[in-house]
Amino acid sequence: MTGFASALWAETLKMIRSKVPLFCLIGFSMAPLAGGLFMIILKNPEAARSMGLISTKAHIMAGTADWPAFFNLLTQAVAAGGAILFAIITIWVFGREFSDHTVKELLALPTSREAIVTAKFIVIAVWTLAMTLFIFVLGLIVGSLVVIPGGSLELARTAFINILGTAVLTFPLMSFVALIASAGRGYLPPFGWTIFTLVLANIAAVMGWGDWFPWAIPGLFSGAAGPRTGQLGLHSYVIVILASLIGLVATFYWWREADQTR
Amino acid sequence: MEFAIETNGLTKRFGDVTAVASVNLRVKCGEIYGFLGLNGAGKTTTIRALLGMIRPGEGNVFVLGQTVGPHGRGPWSKVGHLVESPSPYPELSVRENLDVARRLHGIRNPKVVDEIIGGLALASYANRKAGTLSTGNLQRLGLARALLHEPELLILDEPANGLDPAGVIEIRELLRTLAHEKGVTIFMSSHILTEVDRLATRIGIIHKGRLIEELDTDKLEKLRSKRLEVRTRNLEAAQSGLQRVGYGSIIQDGTILIEDARAIEHPDDIAQILVKDGTPPIHLALEQQNLEEHFMQLTGGVK
Repeated sequence: MTGFASALWAETLKMIRSKVPLFCLIGFSMAPLAGGLFMIILKNPEAARSMGLISTKAHIMAGTADWPAFFNLLTQAVAAGGAILFAIITIWVFGREFSDHTVKELLALPTSREAIVTAKFIVIAVWTLAMTLFIFVLGLIVGSLVVIPGGSLELARTAFINILGTAVLTFPLMSFVALIASAGRGYLPPFGWTIFTLVLANIAAVMGWGDWFPWAIPGLFSGAAGPRTGQLGLHSYVIVILASLIGLVATFYWWREADQTR
Repeated sequence: MEFAIETNGLTKRFGDVTAVASVNLRVKCGEIYGFLGLNGAGKTTTIRALLGMIRPGEGNVFVLGQTVGPHGRGPWSKVGHLVESPSPYPELSVRENLDVARRLHGIRNPKVVDEIIGGLALASYANRKAGTLSTGNLQRLGLARALLHEPELLILDEPANGLDPAGVIEIRELLRTLAHEKGVTIFMSSHILTEVDRLATRIGIIHKGRLIEELDTDKLEKLRSKRLEVRTRNLEAAQSGLQRVGYGSIIQDGTILIEDARAIEHPDDIAQILVKDGTPPIHLALEQQNLEEHFMQLTGGVK
């Protein structure tokens, strides 16, 4: 793949200079911060009520004031928030080339189009992984500051695997977002796609077909609809991989073959 | 390799619209080829096909002896381009934009960025974000990107767009120097006909997707030739008088047209002859038929 290192350098520089990933990080940080607030409310419902805070909502969202509930909240935030925030990053990385008409500067170069697309996916992967690790670490800090009871190293390890697993299942599906951002030549079509898949994922989960619908699987893995054992099977992971590969191959194909008129 | 650009029956359709139909281009190495056409004539589609950005529906494209596409294949390390308006990354500085281009062109030496910044008078904007540049400086940045890797072939869409008069002259001289001293082939489209007229050694006119005429150096010279236009109250008598002293002329639309070099250099002599013959001029003007007139005649545009 000619020029991959150069493409990676260029994509990294664009990501560093952009404000979008930073805003996504700030948005994602809301999950552990809100989780911490819920823990405070659940620990002291009377005090929270006297301060005007709604303990009922916190109770519905988090359940009890302990580390398992807190981690559960974080994992579900990664599943729901990740689907949106990872998509925003992907939309930015791919869609902006068309909205800003910069794509035409990337096509007739010694650096191959495959190298550019690969570099884009790698930058997205690194950034989404970094965001996930960040909110896990921030969660640990917030949880420690709030002094949530019931913590253990084993619990933290399991939570880490759950959060990371949810992110790892969410990220590959971004290949479709990349495809639609490219083929749709901008921001709106992939954003519409993201909302569409989120709605469909919820419907599929409610209907009991979530384990067969790729976009519902990260949410089921996170425990949003109860323990994942029994809800997901090997076929679910295979479907995520297959769907992601279809999106990935289609994105590469589109960049190589489609007419670029922007 | 005789031709830097060669297209054979290049055709491109978008749905029912034929953007380009059977275009056969031959651009010789070292030539400055002006590509003229009205809006929507097919200039940009042709340029995008030359750069492998769109796939021809029919026909083929060779650039620097290499087939363009499929899969974006082409001799891109030897080709510089500017397609439509320049589109740098607005959040990156001028220097960073050029550094991205340098790396994507596989150039290891970072000094080329400083050199091109200096060469295109962008030094005072080097650290400014591209999104804050004026149209003229954006154009300079676009040209800097195109020239960064010292290409053998430049494909430029409206290179003088947005530049002030001094900038237009500067870029014209830069392109002329590149062509004459470094043998760079330049393929440029433009709406500014006088610019193309001044710079190009050959011109192609595209209209409704078809290459309707190519003007070579001889025809361009003829187009650029001057003539003396004379009007008197008695055209025939004046023409006879001029004929007697050896000045051939024709009468067209109530005007005597003289293409004799002596008359063009000394119109005052013609005035004296006419006065002595008793047919004094009521209008005497040195005119130059230009590309614009020719272009408008060909494309049916209204001047």
